[in-house]
Amino acid sequence: MLSVAEAEQFLVAEARLLDERRFEEWEALFTEDGVYWVPMDPDRDPTDSVSIIYDDRKRLHERVYRLTKTPVLDQNPPSRTVRLVANVEVEPGDGPGEQRVRCNQLIAEMRPGGPGQAGLNSPRWLAARCEYRLRRVDGRWRIAWKKVVLLDSDRAQYNLSFIP
Amino acid sequence: MAVTQRARTYGDLVVDDPREFRVHGSIYTDPQVFQEEMDRIFEGTWVYVGHESELPAPGDYKTVLVGRQPLIVARHEDGRIYALYNRCRHRGAVVCREERGHSNFFRCRYHNWVYANNGALIGMAQASGYPEDLDRSRYGLVPAARLASYRGLLFVNLSPTGPSLEEHLEPVRKYVDYWFGRSPSERIQVILPPHRYEYPGNWKLQAENGFDGYHGNYVHLSWQRVLQLSKESTVEEVQQYRQEGCVRGLRNGHGLLERPGSLNPASSWTARMMHRYPEYAEAMRKRFDDAQLMEISARRNIFVFPNLYLFDTHIRVIVPKAVDRTEVQLYVYALEDVPEAINRSRYRGHERFYGPAGFGAPDDIEVFTEVQTGLAATGDPWNLLHRGQHRERVMDGEVIGHTTDEAPQRSFYREWKRVMSQA
Repeated sequence: MLSVAEAEQFLVAEARLLDERRFEEWEALFTEDGVYWVPMDPDRDPTDSVSIIYDDRKRLHERVYRLTKTPVLDQNPPSRTVRLVANVEVEPGDGPGEQRVRCNQLIAEMRPGGPGQAGLNSPRWLAARCEYRLRRVDGRWRIAWKKVVLLDSDRAQYNLSFIP
Repeated sequence: MAVTQRARTYGDLVVDDPREFRVHGSIYTDPQVFQEEMDRIFEGTWVYVGHESELPAPGDYKTVLVGRQPLIVARHEDGRIYALYNRCRHRGAVVCREERGHSNFFRCRYHNWVYANNGALIGMAQASGYPEDLDRSRYGLVPAARLASYRGLLFVNLSPTGPSLEEHLEPVRKYVDYWFGRSPSERIQVILPPHRYEYPGNWKLQAENGFDGYHGNYVHLSWQRVLQLSKESTVEEVQQYRQEGCVRGLRNGHGLLERPGSLNPASSWTARMMHRYPEYAEAMRKRFDDAQLMEISARRNIFVFPNLYLFDTHIRVIVPKAVDRTEVQLYVYALEDVPEAINRSRYRGHERFYGPAGFGAPDDIEVFTEVQTGLAATGDPWNLLHRGQHRERVMDGEVIGHTTDEAPQRSFYREWKRVMSQA
């Protein structure tokens, strides 16, 4: 069982990978059957409804490949982000070597650009409740499931392509 | 520029030159143009407000903005749907604050005036303060001038005059019918909640993009690379596909982008699903002949003037909020009476490209913001929409162009100019 301090250390390290745009290292945190889910309605079954993001590991790889290896417009210029991780709680896992973790995150995001550019230069804040299922694999904790419920998950969103 | 002057100049803002069709940048940036669009287009013509499957049971309702005006769309005990202005007849408060829900009545929280969901005034607090013979029928929630449905697609018109919905839809109707035909019972079921995104740009940037076949190889090159990664298609194959089909500019401002239909599983989604799921093929063949299946299997992005797109995965609604702020709602739908796996793969396919974190839609949004920014530069204030004007052909009242041409955009702006020029 992870302590709160250990869980926090894991989550802060994960947040740092995203803030530093080390997306491939972030992707490698996920288990082979890992899921990354950003729902609109967190109470609906994602298979029979539509989510902002509902990535299995293959789709997650496409997402990271798109951000790092293809000529995207929506991340050119790229987002700067600052993530705060707080309210960390640990709970028993669903099986041996598994652990549930909850936290709240506040994500500040901004894309820099020239003067007068619509959609750029204005910092915005996203607040999220996050749930993780972590699994111990080869002596390391990895993400088997990550759910990010934005405060305004079912409201209109601007570009979320930076990985919330 | 004053309103009265503006009314005389819309003809100058959309120049229907036979060699160089162009529109003036101020139509995307001038707040006064926006207010008049709300008056004349969104509050004066047929506007899409939802699909009947969003309100399956008596008591179900949703609230919408029609132009700038708050309305409730509700299903009453009599099974019928009503569109009502969301404004208490007493002192003007809204009688519903929710986005959608289920209720047998709407109650104004200010002085407890209560209305049935067909708008009838049921009662008010301390009714003895009014004469006993008060005619309550005069004080119901005001209905929209017109509400009409085409195969479950609900439209409101706040103006009592002008064409019927049937007349408005006539030029695009057969394509809407084909769109329903991917369900063997020709029915759809909207899946809630919708994807919603907002961008700092004018609503017409979304309207003129959904049937634009010219931008795909550039704005969505990133998407093509993802498809290549997953070995679904090479960039060359997708770029070849994007040369096939046509665009159609239709009367009344409608238009579409079309990829050719096919009964070959390698060449169309419908044929591929029929090949993969024999029970789907059987149901489709029972309902439609080969000629109909050819049309149904053509993939189309269908625009219905002024605020509706029908896509293969979703119903797209454009909600203008200000001259430089727009919300777009994507209502994904299930095709009824098809194998569950078909719909699930449609949802996953939709998430992959669309929505605020999809692999395609945010690239489109990015370009809208680039246009909105660029329009502030007025050295030459004109935007050009004359691509393909020299090679388009007219057939049965449709203007047909190469898949990368701007025929549907020209149809859109001809209708825009016609409606905006009406006093």
